[in-house]
Amino acid sequence: MIVTWVIAEDILREALRRRWFLVLGIAITLCLMVLLGTLRFDAVENTLATSRHALDSAGGDVHAVGQIFNPLFRAAAYLIFYGGILFGIISCAEFAPTLLSPGRIEHLLSLPVKRWQLIMGTFIGVWTIASCASLYAAGGLTLILGIKTGVWTLRPIIAGLLSTVAWAAVYATMLIAATWVRSAALSAGIGGIVFIGGIIASNRESILGLFAPGLGKVVFSFLSMLFPRLSTLGAACARIASSQPVNAGALASTIGGFACFTAVAVALAIVSLERQDF
Amino acid sequence: MSLSQSASGSGHANAPEAIRVTGLCKTYANGLARSQKKQVLSNLNFQVNRGQSFGIIGPNGAGKTTLVKLLLTVVRPTAGTVRIFGENPEYSHVRARIGYLPERLALPPAATPAEFLKGVCRLKQMKNPDADVERQLARVGMSSDSGKRIKIFSKGMKQRVGLAAALLGTPDLLVLDEPTDGLDPIGRAEFRNIVLEEKQRGATVVLNSHLLSEAERICEAVAILVRGVILRKGLVRDLCTSKTRWRARFAPLSAPVAMSEIGFNETDEPGVYSYETDDPAVLNQSLDAVRNAGALLIELGPELKSLEEVLTEAVGP
Repeated sequence: MIVTWVIAEDILREALRRRWFLVLGIAITLCLMVLLGTLRFDAVENTLATSRHALDSAGGDVHAVGQIFNPLFRAAAYLIFYGGILFGIISCAEFAPTLLSPGRIEHLLSLPVKRWQLIMGTFIGVWTIASCASLYAAGGLTLILGIKTGVWTLRPIIAGLLSTVAWAAVYATMLIAATWVRSAALSAGIGGIVFIGGIIASNRESILGLFAPGLGKVVFSFLSMLFPRLSTLGAACARIASSQPVNAGALASTIGGFACFTAVAVALAIVSLERQDF
Repeated sequence: MSLSQSASGSGHANAPEAIRVTGLCKTYANGLARSQKKQVLSNLNFQVNRGQSFGIIGPNGAGKTTLVKLLLTVVRPTAGTVRIFGENPEYSHVRARIGYLPERLALPPAATPAEFLKGVCRLKQMKNPDADVERQLARVGMSSDSGKRIKIFSKGMKQRVGLAAALLGTPDLLVLDEPTDGLDPIGRAEFRNIVLEEKQRGATVVLNSHLLSEAERICEAVAILVRGVILRKGLVRDLCTSKTRWRARFAPLSAPVAMSEIGFNETDEPGVYSYETDDPAVLNQSLDAVRNAGALLIELGPELKSLEEVLTEAVGP
């Protein structure tokens, strides 16, 4: 298992050397700085003070005053979820094909590294990158608002971490593609298909209603069943971030579905790599 | 003849083998349905003793690189077995004892040699690798470039970094696939010295090289692989020694002797003649004849062929 972590660590090191991730870090920092500089904290503070006073007099929940930020948290959650996945598809597509490239894979496999460790290490490394980026964005936002207004909430961070569950599913399919054909473009293409397919699958029931009974409906029903329900989880992240009620059972089922999809995809990537000669 | 038997005269008698290959076959499946089969290696059997330097030679497309990759489990066999130090090379602890330089090593361009080598050390789970990294970089002459990005390196410099990676952790088995590709003549000489140092240390060396002169200088034993089949194998000394051609040196002749009529053919070297027979009695009769005619024999021995000649003979017309 140590080797798996070493490979994950190497992926992180490689990410640090790439401009993509430097740009991501700068972009998130810039967004946070812009928010810090442009949000009208004085107006917010006045509103909060008034709300707090009113709630204190009425004996209400002080935390509820934080709801003034809900639209901002919701927007941030959507941005982290969809923006993060899209950015990941483009920026992380190269990792696995590079590791599997001719001349590199032969060397790696000659070392005391098992093939499954290579896949798991890559997967964990890329997932860690996504988690760090999500944590930085969501945590930064929470920190800025917390320090400036005194409203502290973990909900955006939880939503940010949940978005990495969706990313894990998308990246697992990209890994399968990379083991078939060592191409970053194909890997990104498959990631894109899962991304779009996941959005469509989330609206499966409503779209199915538009189909006339027949082969088309059966095909759509079958194909949409294969994709993880990306938008469903995205919407749940937004609801969590904006302190809206979430059906815990449905969320657990969605996360479970994502976990199963990811596990199967990673297993397929391992099987595919195990069967290959380089 | 197995190489362990043939190597017994070179100081490796009773040594346990480093590599044992038994009935090794490899068939690649191509095409969309993987229905097109192409047999690359067919029923290979050989063994390499510990501490021996072993060369795999043969023409392009003979299956040499596939054989090297099979030893390292980079390619899986269709049939047969490979054992490294008596164990399956799939085991991590076996591969930890191997240093490998692939034919075309792709190095991470944004990393420095030191970073890359430390990564290899981490994967080999070496404790305190810094000293070894520095030592191997110095051995391959890359100390002064250890902090530069690999992307600016020439092919030869990358090859040196690859060799340093193969040497990390004092491996018991060094597998080198076309190691001097891209190296200049000085670099080749340096590489040869390093490999010989490793051999002196006790490491087993497997060399796949199309440079036969290099194999001749480094290897004690070779296998000639042609179209996936080992045509000849054995000690270089044995393979290069002719069984039918003899080399005789005579003192300057005081009177003309009809050497060619007796069967001795003049060579480019003054006073040296070659004679062809597989029968020692015939050789002795001919020698008696020329000596009776006044020729004085100074030196006699089997004619030595180059590996190139051995390979050409094996491959045939």
